[in-house]
Amino acid sequence: MNPFHHLVGHFISCRDVSHLVSQMQDRDLSAFERLRLGWHLGVCKACMAFEKQMRFMREAMRRYRE
Amino acid sequence: MADDFLKQLETQRSYLLRVARLQLRDQALAEDVVQDTLVAALGAQAGFTGKSSVKTWLTGILKHKIVDAIRRKQREPVAASTLDDEADLEDFEGLFSARGSWQESPADWGDPEQALNRRQFFDMMDFCLEKLPPNTARVFMMREVMELDSDEICKELAITANNLWVILYRARMSLRECLELNWFAGGGRA
Repeated sequence: MNPFHHLVGHFISCRDVSHLVSQMQDRDLSAFERLRLGWHLGVCKACMAFEKQMRFMREAMRRYRE
Repeated sequence: MADDFLKQLETQRSYLLRVARLQLRDQALAEDVVQDTLVAALGAQAGFTGKSSVKTWLTGILKHKIVDAIRRKQREPVAASTLDDEADLEDFEGLFSARGSWQESPADWGDPEQALNRRQFFDMMDFCLEKLPPNTARVFMMREVMELDSDEICKELAITANNLWVILYRARMSLRECLELNWFAGGGRA
């Protein structure tokens, strides 16, 4: 695990990130939220993978309706 | 000419029925709504310019019919309480540690194109969508297939934005879990 993980986790947890990543598809995040999210994603591989999965699912639903 | 158009519409019936059933969770009502959609489409043939695909055009008409049906259903006093039940987050708490870190990292799903080019993948999507709780599926389909924005959905269903985001989160987390289990970890991808 990344040595900075716990430090960053102190500011925003993976659980909170998972909510923001989902909400990003439904509303505009605030500048502060984007900053915290970006920072966390930059050092957390697990959340990066999650964010990729969410993008994949959105694309899958787009194809589903076309 | 009209016959051709009718045939074109008929080929979309099963897709429309699937979408309607997922949102309404009522086979008879879904069939009615799809029938209404096809009849309306036939009457509005002149409105079809061919700029979008027949499927996209029909989905647009279906969207209005479904919203009308939901509106009528909404007058029956059930939806709000069940929506609250389905806005419970406990099911997904186990994915995270007490500190809020992932217990197990989400997997790398690889190249999306590979899955998205396979018919079977979408059969699996259908299977996973069917497994969502009824109101969760309805809200998710309103958002992702009907492409209604958050405000519109909140207004239609008389729920708060926070409530909506939680329901959509649940839908995505459940779908993710189902796909990971049945497609990405299983034989589907091979």
